[in-house]
Amino acid sequence: MRRRWIAGVVVLALSASFLAGCTKDEGAAGDGVTKEPYRIGAVLSLTGTYAGLGTPEKNAIELEVARLNEAGGINGHLVEVLYEDDATDPAKAVAGAARLIEQEEVLAIIGATGTGQTMAIRSEIARAGIPQVSMAGGSVVTADFDPLVFQTPWPNRTVVPFTLKALKERGLTKVAVISDTGGYGVDGHDIIVKEASAAGVEIVTEETFNPGDTDMTPQLTKIKAANPDVILMWSAGKEAAIVAKNMTQLGMKTPLVGSPGNGRKEFVEGAGASAEGFRFAAGKVLVPDAYGKESEAYKVATDFIARYTEAYDTAPDIFAGHAYDAFLVVSDALGRVEGDVTPASLRDAVENTSGLVGIGGTFTYTPEDHNGLTEDELVFYRVEGSTWVLDK
Amino acid sequence: MNSAELLQFVASGLQNGAVYALVALGFTLVYASTGIINFAQGEFFMLGGMLAVAGVRFGLPLPFAVLASVAGTAAIGLLFERVALRPRRDSGPLVLIIITIGGSMVMKSLARHAFGPNELTLPPFSPGDPIVLAGASIDRQVLWIWGLTIVAVIALTFLYSKTKLGRAMRACSLSHDAARLMGIDTARVVMISFGLAAALGALGGVAVAPLTQTAFDVGARAGLKGFAAAILGGLGNPIGAVVGGLVLGILESMSVAFISSTYKDAISLVILLAVLFLRPQGILGKRGREKV
Repeated sequence: MRRRWIAGVVVLALSASFLAGCTKDEGAAGDGVTKEPYRIGAVLSLTGTYAGLGTPEKNAIELEVARLNEAGGINGHLVEVLYEDDATDPAKAVAGAARLIEQEEVLAIIGATGTGQTMAIRSEIARAGIPQVSMAGGSVVTADFDPLVFQTPWPNRTVVPFTLKALKERGLTKVAVISDTGGYGVDGHDIIVKEASAAGVEIVTEETFNPGDTDMTPQLTKIKAANPDVILMWSAGKEAAIVAKNMTQLGMKTPLVGSPGNGRKEFVEGAGASAEGFRFAAGKVLVPDAYGKESEAYKVATDFIARYTEAYDTAPDIFAGHAYDAFLVVSDALGRVEGDVTPASLRDAVENTSGLVGIGGTFTYTPEDHNGLTEDELVFYRVEGSTWVLDK
Repeated sequence: MNSAELLQFVASGLQNGAVYALVALGFTLVYASTGIINFAQGEFFMLGGMLAVAGVRFGLPLPFAVLASVAGTAAIGLLFERVALRPRRDSGPLVLIIITIGGSMVMKSLARHAFGPNELTLPPFSPGDPIVLAGASIDRQVLWIWGLTIVAVIALTFLYSKTKLGRAMRACSLSHDAARLMGIDTARVVMISFGLAAALGALGGVAVAPLTQTAFDVGARAGLKGFAAAILGGLGNPIGAVVGGLVLGILESMSVAFISSTYKDAISLVILLAVLFLRPQGILGKRGREKV
């Protein structure tokens, strides 16, 4: 009797580990090519707080890898991407990066999803001397300069001044700041505080919440008492929807403005009617007309949107765009390396990226600037009828 | 600070506190009947919300989806005890506790595979504008949370004091061997307490989901808060679990009100430690006794 139960549990455990194993084999390359495939690592948050960001990122990379390999790869080499889930945990990101470097001997690492995880794996990257292309929006990723580290999203140091300027233009100068205590929220908060006076706005109160918090009415009650023109929220997690709903609960009519991290359909679904009128700055992928219909970026973006939508039954969000860009930067650089691809030659090739049209913008890296995006790539959005429209 | 604002902080504290209390009750029930901490308790909270969302997507009307989710989670709790814990019940508490940790990982992974990694939305039980009470506005869903918590506590009190099963459960909490000698089927009592604990956790998870959304990974935090509440109130004491939950909720919102929102978790943890330093048995706990 007891044996049978134990056997049952073992079978359950095995099937669970089998399920977990399934996702790992999808990046494997096909047969029939004599040249060694290029191996690239990807450290993504597929579970944990940033799972909603990491999952579209993985989707986008898989889509692009398949397309590239079907077209014959890069100079006859297929590309193989090996994924590690960091569970939104810096320690697991380090372990995943170490495994990719030691066991898989990857040429470059795409990732991580979050700012904290991106910074955590820096020592592993330095040890291996391979380039890292991060999809995290924290300014610190490229402001705290490392010759090996590149970044595809618009960092907070670009988005925050753009957002503050937009607030000023709309006459919203008394700003209450609410941010999360994760890496992205802290980074955004610090830049908001630093840039406020230059942008001509005044910060009347500051509050924070922790990732995982379920009720922000205490913080909002304090903000309400400060009577601001606008509430500026800097957070990329699921707590953003709770802030919007709590404001409705408290009967607050103050406009709520967020960060690019809120450009997710889960936010709009979660906040429901409370999301209406919510505004945030982000790149142009959410409303591709913003690129300008004649531009190359428009063609690149609409092509990606069409293929992504067909494959996954949902339109890509900005995070899928960041991952598309990260893979594009690496694969473009691989194609430009002359002779053998080594970590050092690949790093140099990435740094020489110039005029590369992606989803988040047109990338030109220099030895001093490993982000290369400007405010020109950003537009201001408003939620209207449960979707995004341009807020002119 | 005016009285309306103060009331708003109290309301927020009681809202979180009621949810902590439901999770804490689950810890306490299992502890009372088995002497172990069930670290899968937070996952029952997660399953409550997730199964209700799944039910709504499947096309069930909301009330049925909610009931089905609580009943389904209770069944999972029963099954978990029967399949994973009972075969090893003679192995000592440490082994059982580790099995519950393993169980929580399995439930979380399966939920991740079944429902995906994104947060999911459950519609509110009774949509409408928030209710304004002496200047504090309270979401209708919060009234549901309070109501369901009160109903759960009354039902549990009735069960404990008036029914044969309740008496059997109390007997088990005093001594398994003595209870067995009195003809009580202790294995059944343990299994039922797991089912009840799962139902209470699920009730918390499903009641709060319309406010906060839910996801496969909300269990860990709920478990941690519920555990802290159970310890604060005194492990093994159902009234203590409720008091502990409400006190913890109020502590957190008052920390935001008067000190700092950044350190609210740290502040409530420090106060928790201070209380335990002065009263190791918790606010309402009895002095620990040696079981032989």
